[in-house]
Amino acid sequence: MAVAVAKRRQTRGLGNERVREALVGYGFIALPMAFFLLFFIVPVGYAVYISRYDWQIFKGPYVGFGNYRHLWHDSVFWTHAVRNTLVFTAFVVPLEVALGLALAVVVNQGIRFRGFFRAAFYFPSLAASAAIASIAIYILASDGLFNTVLNHLGYHHNNAWFTQESTALPSIIGLNAWTTSGTIMIFYLAGLQAIPTDVYEAAAIDGAGAWRTFWKVTFPLLKPAHFFVLVTSVIGALQMFDQAFLIGGASGGPNYSTMTMVLYLYNQSIKNISFGYGAAIGVVLFLFLFTVTLIQRLLFGKPEVA
Amino acid sequence: MDTEQLPPVAAAEQLAHEGEAAKGTPAATGIPGRERGERIRTAIAYVVMFGVAALFFIPFLWSVSTSFRTLADTVAGFSLLPKHWTLSGYREAFHTFNFGQYTLNSFIIAGAITISNLFLASLGGYAFARLKFPGREALFLLVLGTLMIPDQLRLVPIYLMLVNWIPSWVAHLGWHNASFINRNGVIGIQLVSAASLFLMRQYFLTIPRDLEEAAKLDGAGYFKTYRKVMLPLAGPAIAAVTILTFQGAWNGLFWAAILLQDKSQYTIPIGLANFHFAYQTLWPPLMAASVLAILPVLVLFIIFQRYFVAGVAASGVKG
Amino acid sequence: MRKRLIFPALLAAAVVASVLAAGSQAKTDRAAAPKVTTVTLNGWQVSPAEETKLQSVVSTFNKTHPNIKIDYSSITGDYQAQMLAKFAARKPPDVFYVDVADIRDWVGQGVIQPLNSYVKATKFSTKPFYKNLLNAFKVGKNYYGFPKDWSSLGMEVNTTLLGNNPVPKTWAQLRSVASRINVPGGKPICLSADWARMMAFVYQAGGSGQWKDATTAPFRAAVNFYVGLIKDGLAATPDKLGAGWCGEAFGKQKAAFAFEGNWMFPTMQSFPGVKFTTAPMPKGKRRGNLAFTVSYSMSKDSKHKAAAWQVLKYLVGKQGMQQWISLGLALPTRVDVHAVPGRGAFIRYPSAVHGWGAQKGFRHIWNDVANNELTAVIAGKESVNEMLQKIAAAAR
Repeated sequence: MAVAVAKRRQTRGLGNERVREALVGYGFIALPMAFFLLFFIVPVGYAVYISRYDWQIFKGPYVGFGNYRHLWHDSVFWTHAVRNTLVFTAFVVPLEVALGLALAVVVNQGIRFRGFFRAAFYFPSLAASAAIASIAIYILASDGLFNTVLNHLGYHHNNAWFTQESTALPSIIGLNAWTTSGTIMIFYLAGLQAIPTDVYEAAAIDGAGAWRTFWKVTFPLLKPAHFFVLVTSVIGALQMFDQAFLIGGASGGPNYSTMTMVLYLYNQSIKNISFGYGAAIGVVLFLFLFTVTLIQRLLFGKPEVA
Repeated sequence: MDTEQLPPVAAAEQLAHEGEAAKGTPAATGIPGRERGERIRTAIAYVVMFGVAALFFIPFLWSVSTSFRTLADTVAGFSLLPKHWTLSGYREAFHTFNFGQYTLNSFIIAGAITISNLFLASLGGYAFARLKFPGREALFLLVLGTLMIPDQLRLVPIYLMLVNWIPSWVAHLGWHNASFINRNGVIGIQLVSAASLFLMRQYFLTIPRDLEEAAKLDGAGYFKTYRKVMLPLAGPAIAAVTILTFQGAWNGLFWAAILLQDKSQYTIPIGLANFHFAYQTLWPPLMAASVLAILPVLVLFIIFQRYFVAGVAASGVKG
Repeated sequence: MRKRLIFPALLAAAVVASVLAAGSQAKTDRAAAPKVTTVTLNGWQVSPAEETKLQSVVSTFNKTHPNIKIDYSSITGDYQAQMLAKFAARKPPDVFYVDVADIRDWVGQGVIQPLNSYVKATKFSTKPFYKNLLNAFKVGKNYYGFPKDWSSLGMEVNTTLLGNNPVPKTWAQLRSVASRINVPGGKPICLSADWARMMAFVYQAGGSGQWKDATTAPFRAAVNFYVGLIKDGLAATPDKLGAGWCGEAFGKQKAAFAFEGNWMFPTMQSFPGVKFTTAPMPKGKRRGNLAFTVSYSMSKDSKHKAAAWQVLKYLVGKQGMQQWISLGLALPTRVDVHAVPGRGAFIRYPSAVHGWGAQKGFRHIWNDVANNELTAVIAGKESVNEMLQKIAAAAR
């Protein structure tokens, strides 16, 4: 019966079937693609348009690449915004990935209260950045909980961690690694669950200790997870805004120490009342992110195409 | 890569591929004293883990403690627990600062965005996973590319679009004096995200084709297959998208801060800014509000945890 | 079985959500009543007490003006960002606060309504206003707003820590008294790394207070004096004293001297038991002080300009301002409105008070250039001259 049906389908004409499938396909993606077009692609185009004008609040005279030329010579952008963004990413990504991986490995053991630990470690990722920032400022104030504990341990630190130029960015790095580690843990947990238990048992039979098992068995088998985690965390880190804005303010903290590229975009658009210049920064940032992603794909292959 | 270097590991991989062979083999035991060593090690491991979990919890415990203090207590000397326990922080948050309204608004916005995401992402994800149409790969890469567009870049264009262009377009359709600088606008610009679509697509890819073939043979059209076969099987992916989208929308500050003008529409993150004044921060109600803000997402997570991890697993994280 | 219900459940929930959203939108549309002109008023609040006070001023107006209704809401968070967004959308509030640091830029952008025609038409008298404050909002020949209140700086002195020493009146006296005082766990003086305080010292050194003159001698003298106090261990910035700002440091008794404004009075209520007094700012070459003021202005794109003018006129008029000032947070900008007693130290030398702001690109230079460079100088990373050159360059 099924064979007869299948044969009839075949003789009807493969061309029609393919066309129908394509039309249905377009039908299904019509709404999402329209949305992405309207709220992602069109705004980028509009931003490029805005960046070609001396556009403050309202459209001004045409300046061609003037905004970009100005950006090229903007020392605050290069010596602070770009540098801080790169430093931030270079430190926060390894930190949060290592932390997330460690937590995932721990939670993945056949331990009791697994659900509790999973929730506990994911907790910081759940909270709103506005709440986390307020709590962090409170705890890391010069007479806050953190310093009080340090004092009891014998290390006297009298400054507020976020308002001192040398410790502002490192503190945000630590805070961000802490809040993102939960999400990374979930990703690695998913990856770990895909590794069959036999692998561990086999390694145990061959006498491999816990550490060796991890490095020589688990770690390599997590390759797909590594790619995914690396790509998402780098892209996320390069665009970190919330915590820098809430903690350091739109001016970038003490002596620009917490000024990142996206914060600079916001700062120039709003504080310097220059939508055109801000748009130019945004376009440059987008091209930068695009390039970084391209390099990652070339280096590591194509992680997202299954 | 390095797996070739060590024979035991290669053997392990072999076993992994073959599956069942090694399952029955017990771990090495019978060595005297080893069990007690294991128990001690396990106990230490638990202590360490509880310690780390405590570290993760401490900031929140501290906020909870602060939420039960009076304002004077927060500037007085350090004490672990409040000197005088009081509910004034919570009362202030609800009465003076209208926190109840903010919570409702957050629910409406996060709920609408989550439902919309589930609907659109699953439609799109299914199409990208199972349907063939010209330009499919290119369009999918385009969707992923949107992850590289910073929100701050879209800020001015989207704002100008919402204020000028879109109201004039819908006016042609008969809806005059439309305004999107409000809750509807915040929902409207977050109807679907590339991350949700990606998750759904990856998960659909892992569903065996036989079920679809069977449905096709029974004469089901594409939409019916989607509705009756794929969606019901996509439980973990749905859970993952639900948690991630709800959490993101619930905690989202950026668009809400720009687009919400009327105080009656403010969401919780904006409301938290209410407690910061130029010369003073009202810590107790701020901490009370922060504590309350975490509860809904925490509950959601606890309920859906297991499905969440499984759903994320299929997003290419497991290869 | 459960899984089959997912889709219809989701659909139902989606419908409910959109109905809720649409419903609340419709409610707000229905709320606006015809025949009465609604004027939108926006501002920001420095404390909950201010919010309540302004709301009572608004309701007094609403009761006495049956044809006009003020719809007031305060903007939390980034006021400049919100206002810029509204200007760009051409949907600004009718009447709103304008900080003196923003007035020049916003007038330059063409979003503020010049008020001369309204002043003339309603015969509104500008005579009762203090000249300095009034001129801060005058660009060319036009008034672009009227000052609603102002604050200036004073010197707060912790009398317990001062001991038998006299209250310093000059720079030299400040230095010598500070070196004789011991503050346990703190420093004698709290100085903010903020030009919004240091500029007062620039005026005291005889400077012009204009960013473009940053490289002139009075600027250098003032900065050297200010930073010198820190470098010599007689002063520290608030974050080194365990506080977010000098008012808090003073309240926690980590400093004996602070230079803050009349907002210290409500602040010090959170620190009962601290014995303190207020004195005028010390004298350098001459006296100098800053006036921080905010205006009520009207938007150029307002659709109810006549009604908005009535609101504006009332709020900066004798009755409206008297009600507002009774809160005791800020000082009145009219001679016929009486300040809350006890503010004498701040207004003893009115001729020495200079408006803070009212220059082009002011806020940007202040926050993004001047203050960042000052932080670098205090940390020893930059020389005073380098900072002043950068500031002057930014002002060009």
